[in-house]
Amino acid sequence: MKLPKLKLKSQLAIFNAFSKALIITLLVFLLPWLVSKISINETDEILVQKLDQVIELVDSLGIESFIDTDAEFQAFGSYNILKEEYISIEQIANDSVVNVIQFSERNIEDEIVDYRVLSYSIEENGINYIIEIGKSISTIYRFEQNLKRFAFLFLIVIISLTFLFDLSFIQYLLLPFNKIVKKLKSTNHPSSFDYISVNTNTSDFEYLDTTIHALMRKIETAFNDERDYISNVSHELLTPVSIIQSKLDNILHESSLPEKDMLKIYESKKTLRRLTNLVRTLLMMSRIENEEYILTEQVNVNNTIKKVIEEIEDRILAKELELKINLKANDFIINGNENLLFTLFYNFINNAIRYTNKGFIKIESFNNGNKFIVEISDSGIGIQKEKIPDIFSRFKNSNETKDSYGLGLALSKKICDYHKINVEVLSESGKGSSFILNFT
Amino acid sequence: MRILIVEDEKSLSKEIKQFLEKEEYNCDQAFTGHEASELIAINPYDFVLLDIGLPDYNGLDLIKEAKEYKSEAYFIVITARGELEDKLKGFDLGADDYLPKPFSLLELLSRVQAITRRKFGHQSSVINFGDFALDTTKKNLTHNDKNIDLTKKEYKLLSYLVLNKNRILDRLQLTEHIWGDFFEDDFDSNYIDVHIKNIRKKLSTYDDSTWIKTVRGIGYKFEL
Repeated sequence: MKLPKLKLKSQLAIFNAFSKALIITLLVFLLPWLVSKISINETDEILVQKLDQVIELVDSLGIESFIDTDAEFQAFGSYNILKEEYISIEQIANDSVVNVIQFSERNIEDEIVDYRVLSYSIEENGINYIIEIGKSISTIYRFEQNLKRFAFLFLIVIISLTFLFDLSFIQYLLLPFNKIVKKLKSTNHPSSFDYISVNTNTSDFEYLDTTIHALMRKIETAFNDERDYISNVSHELLTPVSIIQSKLDNILHESSLPEKDMLKIYESKKTLRRLTNLVRTLLMMSRIENEEYILTEQVNVNNTIKKVIEEIEDRILAKELELKINLKANDFIINGNENLLFTLFYNFINNAIRYTNKGFIKIESFNNGNKFIVEISDSGIGIQKEKIPDIFSRFKNSNETKDSYGLGLALSKKICDYHKINVEVLSESGKGSSFILNFT
Repeated sequence: MRILIVEDEKSLSKEIKQFLEKEEYNCDQAFTGHEASELIAINPYDFVLLDIGLPDYNGLDLIKEAKEYKSEAYFIVITARGELEDKLKGFDLGADDYLPKPFSLLELLSRVQAITRRKFGHQSSVINFGDFALDTTKKNLTHNDKNIDLTKKEYKLLSYLVLNKNRILDRLQLTEHIWGDFFEDDFDSNYIDVHIKNIRKKLSTYDDSTWIKTVRGIGYKFEL
């Protein structure tokens, strides 16, 4: 069974309530039973004492003073007026020996009364008598009933009070903990972490807080180091590339070289260019990961798409593809980074062109409730079903024939995640692909 | 034209200098920010090529200093670092253009020429070939005063070839010039060829000469 996730405070409160409910139940059933047990025991002791007194009396006065030997009915009985106690002495068969205490109902003057009765047989002058001493237990029953009723109410009141008290104490106790959790919740990046320490008397919380602070500082330093590292590495990489490129440019510039050498230099320049693109794309992805791009520009997405189309429309014409544009989303203005969004649409549309040799490229935008959707579809070669989950991974390319490193889509995905855009890919091998961007 | 190259990589600085001197520019080199600062204070440069990733100086401070010296130099900022922010900051501080590393020397030259044309109101803004006239100010092409309809990209491509006449421009240089620095993987594609085909078709309705020569496997050359 999967339990729902609850806050510590709620869990403690629930446990508290549960344990208290358990105590109530136990006490309500157990307490009256216990009390009556004790009362009965006490009654029994009194009965035994009384029996001793009676036996003493019988011994000193003789049985005759209780039972008239001539009487037809050989018995003696005495009740007090309130019928709370009685004593009876009766003759019984010679061979019976009795010594019990038990509950018994007696009908006395048309009234049924519950008694605790001690029966004890004695032998007097060769005749067996049974002495019964009874004590009414209706008071005990009543007491038990009252106890059941009032104890329940009383316990409810007491337990509610303690429950409330516990709850507020838990709340107070967990206050620093809640603050720590709140601090973590409001932190989406180590640089935005609030380093003011939480005031607490609980050593565990203090430890938790200082540990989180220390770890957060470590992460922040790591982030900053990584950022510096990436910036430095890219600088260090791009500068030598720049030197080589300039040298190659200068060699080509001489233009006195034989054709086959010029071709070789041109091939080297292309390889160098590939390296440059790789470094630049990786750099951009890392910069997105480090949240270095501001997301506060008001971007009219339809306009950005139009700019991208203007930039690469000639490629669509060059490949003689049909371009269908339908940007009908209203008020399509979001907070974002225009440069990144430009790169995003450029990549998606350029990809669509690259993998489409005949047919159309369709670019649409529309409203869906209060959300915006952009759909870029083509009639190109499509993506094999089993490869769709991989297309956004780094260095995986669904089309091995092109010498691309498949970073374009990985970068696009990064930009989407950064802008909280959800991407859906629909594609059928040989029929075309469709990238659906959900702006939430 | 006098140009100061501020670049701590001596090898790169040397290549730039060699290239620009062939184009008849006078070049000085500064390998540190302090050297650059002194040179800018003394000499009236027309251009400063500034690598802002200097070890001893924040390159952007040099632009500020230059303004204080009332230098009239135009700044072209070169960087391999955090491109976007520096780009914005660079323009705010009065950089006139921006080139991310690595750049092609031809692209650098074309930026220098563009600024020259823009700022100095270059007189020969019209280049004639045959009966054609390419006006770099109006950005159009005419044949005996009759306008020839070129798309934006076609004009950009043709003017780049014309401005670098008699020189081989490879596909990479052409791609970089007309599409910029997008994360282009397929620069081997035939987009450039399609554009050239269209330009040739448009020119051939007026003139039989082969202005644009194909350099097999590499690119194109405008011959005049």
